[in-house]
Amino acid sequence: MQNVIFGLITGSILASATVGFALIRQTENFLHIAHGQMLALGAFVGFVFADRGLNIFISGLLAMLILGAIGVALGHFVFSPVARDGATVLLFTSIGVAFLLYGVMIAIFGTGVEIYPVSFGGSHEILGASISTGELLIIGLATMSVIGLQMFLSLTRVGRWLRASASNPELAALRGVPVRMVSSVVWFISSALAAMAGVMLGVLGTVNTELGWANILIILAAAVLGGLGSILGVMASAVLLGVIMDVSALWIPTSYRSIIAFGALILVLLIRPEGLFSVRRRAESM
Amino acid sequence: MTSPLFWVSVLTLAFIYASVTMVLNVEAGWGGMWDLGVVGLMAVGAYTYGITTANDEGLTTKFQPGWPIWLGILAAMAVTGIVAFLIGLPALRLRREYFLITTFAFAEVFRQLAVIQADITNGTVGFNRLQRPFESVVSGSNYNYVLLLIAVLVAALVFALTFAISRSPYGRALRSMRDNEAAVLSVGIGVSRLRLQTFVMAGVVLGGIAPVYLWWTRSLVPQLFIPDFTFVAWTALVIGGMGSRVGPFLGAIFLITFTELVRLVDVPPEQIKLLIGFQPIAIGLLLILVLRFRPEGLFPERNAFGSRSRAAEIS
Repeated sequence: MQNVIFGLITGSILASATVGFALIRQTENFLHIAHGQMLALGAFVGFVFADRGLNIFISGLLAMLILGAIGVALGHFVFSPVARDGATVLLFTSIGVAFLLYGVMIAIFGTGVEIYPVSFGGSHEILGASISTGELLIIGLATMSVIGLQMFLSLTRVGRWLRASASNPELAALRGVPVRMVSSVVWFISSALAAMAGVMLGVLGTVNTELGWANILIILAAAVLGGLGSILGVMASAVLLGVIMDVSALWIPTSYRSIIAFGALILVLLIRPEGLFSVRRRAESM
Repeated sequence: MTSPLFWVSVLTLAFIYASVTMVLNVEAGWGGMWDLGVVGLMAVGAYTYGITTANDEGLTTKFQPGWPIWLGILAAMAVTGIVAFLIGLPALRLRREYFLITTFAFAEVFRQLAVIQADITNGTVGFNRLQRPFESVVSGSNYNYVLLLIAVLVAALVFALTFAISRSPYGRALRSMRDNEAAVLSVGIGVSRLRLQTFVMAGVVLGGIAPVYLWWTRSLVPQLFIPDFTFVAWTALVIGGMGSRVGPFLGAIFLITFTELVRLVDVPPEQIKLLIGFQPIAIGLLLILVLRFRPEGLFPERNAFGSRSRAAEIS
């Protein structure tokens, strides 16, 4: 049971990182490899504020806002000028951005390991497992943000615009959807969610510059498992992946944790390339 | 101020990367197979060589046949080819992005396995006393010149191979498969077989390059095979020009010498992190700028297909 709780924590953090990745895949049509570095940068920015003695929630919020702004700037100045050249150029531009951010983080913060100065509060007993207040808060916040995103997408006007330009950008533009504004919204939301996931990972563990590379493959795995298309599918598969990784630790040494994630990814790609929770056949998989 | 040994070392690394980039060019530039798992195949080759030739009393790993160097190289090539076949069989059914994710994941799995299976790979400690050819003949710092010569020879061999491929019916089939798969199928070329052949060939050649890389690094640890290696090779390929014959070679030589140059800068120890950060920053900026302003690379492909088909292919 304890491992299920750990899995839920891992999974909910993973979900908030992955929905942003899937959102960009859907609306901008490329695999945003630099998403992992945005997560790491978010963890560092949050750490800088928390280390100055700021409340952890305010630090996290500031990190989300700053990273959101960085995301919008990247989308506007780096990605949209090469959008015409297609998904491959965008993908490799994103790898370039990942390297750039990675190098900048090393240059500013060094290669050491940082620890957030936070305490988790008392622990509670739930179904024979213990969980601290902080961990409960993390699960709650991550779940709320993903559900909030889903509601934003389905209930508000901007959300409808966003889904419209994801499924058919030309038609959406023709019908008067402000495509550029929608694109900025996507960059802001997904980068801010990455920052939130980064701060949470940092609070739970440690902050270092390898955080981005370590997480991007797990994010990719969760996104592909979910089928990239639906936000709820991605969320479900991220939680599932988190639980599988942590529960499998009962029988298999924990060092195999990420191998299990990638193994699941490879299996799903080969058997059901359209994703676990997708009904539409994936065109690219042929 | 700079010793010639520094340049010899940098050039050796540059020629090793050039060989890898040229193999990648055959796979991705001509075959259209976006392989992000290059480093995984390198790891397989390197570990095969390291394990089969290990000759160290202090080692406690289970499997130590202690083979001679030439046999170790052959084993590395054979095993990497077989592994490439086993990966390629399922993975090549996927296209573009999904092939890319799968190869990326395989490479990561290999690296993690190298860490975990310590009874065979010696874990994160790895192998530190590798057998190198001609070391008994040429000793000391002069050995670096021998290594440079070997790296140049290997790069020349790989270049000759890619040159021969580019002029062969096989190379033409490969490029036309990239540009128009349906047309190639319609003239009776087995596309899936062609892709698998190419992937296995890339594996065999990478398996041969891997030992040379080990001779340069002098130790075999899992940390050598982080995804950076793949991305550096890809950056060299994109900068040089995908599909070009000399582009990948020049791109790799340029990229490696450029990013290693920074080591010559003297900085106080407290600013060492700026130096460590410079290499990824330079790679990232180069990649972003080249893709933005010259997506066909610095030395674009010029052949029967012309430069227009390149531009169309990239999009």
